[in-house]
Amino acid sequence: MMNTITAELIKLRSLPVALATMGGTLAAAVVLAAAIAASGTTTSPTQVVIQSITYLQVGLILLGVLIIGIDYTGSNMRTALLATPNRRTLLVGKCVAYLLAAAATSAAAIVAGFLTATITLAIRESATETGADTWPVIGAGVYLVLIGLLGLALALLLRSLIPPLVAMLSLVLIISPLLSTLTSYAQYLPDQAGSLLYHRESTAELTSGTGMLVLLAWIVAIGAGAVMEFRSRDA
Amino acid sequence: MTLLRTIVGEFRKTLTLPAALVALGIALFGTIAVSLLVASSSAGHAAHSTPASVVFNTVPLGTVGAVILGVIVISSEYTANTPDAGGGRQISATLVATPHRLVLLLSKVVVIVVLIVVTAVTAIAVSLGLAQVILGTTGGHEDLSDMIARSAGVALYWTLMSLIALAVTVFTRSGIVPLIWFIANSSLISVSLLLSKLTSLARYLPDLAGMRLFATPSSLAVQDPLEPLTGGLVMAAWAIVLLTASTLAFTRRDA
Repeated sequence: MMNTITAELIKLRSLPVALATMGGTLAAAVVLAAAIAASGTTTSPTQVVIQSITYLQVGLILLGVLIIGIDYTGSNMRTALLATPNRRTLLVGKCVAYLLAAAATSAAAIVAGFLTATITLAIRESATETGADTWPVIGAGVYLVLIGLLGLALALLLRSLIPPLVAMLSLVLIISPLLSTLTSYAQYLPDQAGSLLYHRESTAELTSGTGMLVLLAWIVAIGAGAVMEFRSRDA
Repeated sequence: MTLLRTIVGEFRKTLTLPAALVALGIALFGTIAVSLLVASSSAGHAAHSTPASVVFNTVPLGTVGAVILGVIVISSEYTANTPDAGGGRQISATLVATPHRLVLLLSKVVVIVVLIVVTAVTAIAVSLGLAQVILGTTGGHEDLSDMIARSAGVALYWTLMSLIALAVTVFTRSGIVPLIWFIANSSLISVSLLLSKLTSLARYLPDLAGMRLFATPSSLAVQDPLEPLTGGLVMAAWAIVLLTASTLAFTRRDA
């Protein structure tokens, strides 16, 4: 098991596109935090970080989709299964490798974004809210990791790279904002339910805790189908 | 003659790509479905929603379909086959069949324009018709010529966005980066919108410049958007500049 996790981490490190995704997410966090703080819509670094999550989730989704999808673009999956014939072990290895990489990326991006926001707000000499609530920021980090995990599950289900990427991006960036103006059921969409982790106000039906459970339920539902398919189908 | 045959060939190639059909499906059925949803949910209570206000608010979804089509028309040429099937790329076969690169790129542009315009006109006309049936005339009447102008604006906006996506993909070859960029930027929370809060120059970015082609100023989050004509021209200028640059790159680079 340890060997598989190490192997998956080495594989991830040797993928230029994965490194670019992690670096790009970090860079985007800094630029976005500076831009949002400079636009003067808010004076709290926490709020700045929260507003940048909408964009930052793209990076984590890409990371989650890549870790599975890249194996399906060539014959890489067969090589991986030759090396680790036990499919459950391979899958656990991939998930743990993703969680480690995603947690590091998410934490780094959020800390960098928070610091940039604080500095930018200080330079603009707007009255910075001190004693900021740290829970929304931590919640935002957890949300980023989880939404990427949903991307991973979808990539495993669809056994490809581009279709799950387009589906996830359309969901979180287009369909979800569009439907949320329309029907209150939209709050049960994975990204809307998960966003309660960092939005302080809870809706009528969901709180941060139940919101996270809804997001986890989405991951488990898609993931369970994907795992069953992965264990029984040809590679 | 070569051009005509290449256009026919490109049509056949595009319409046999599953991803192209998905993209057109998103633009066509996505727009119709969301319009239906919004119209039926606001039929009872909201007296102020008119068919036009409902339908033209769903345009961002179709923009996603349009940019996906623009990206995959190029990126599918460069995607390597599986090693089992030789690991080749479509672009080699395409260029053997049509060695004239300008003709090839031009045919792709023609295919995009025709497909997107047909899809846009169908999607908007059907959506407007259905919304009219559901909502009736409770929201008051609208100027018919205004509706036709805005529908044409949607077709133009989708076409230009699709061509811009195509031009950018000629440079990147892989579809991942342009897909992420253009889908994220077609959303209601686009990066351009964020920039527009920092500088008024962001109004000249292609996606924001063309917004007034179909949207009313009140429905836009951006301050003081460009007028429809100016905005359309700015957007067209972006498309022409990017297409020219990508033509230069495409005709001079290795395949």
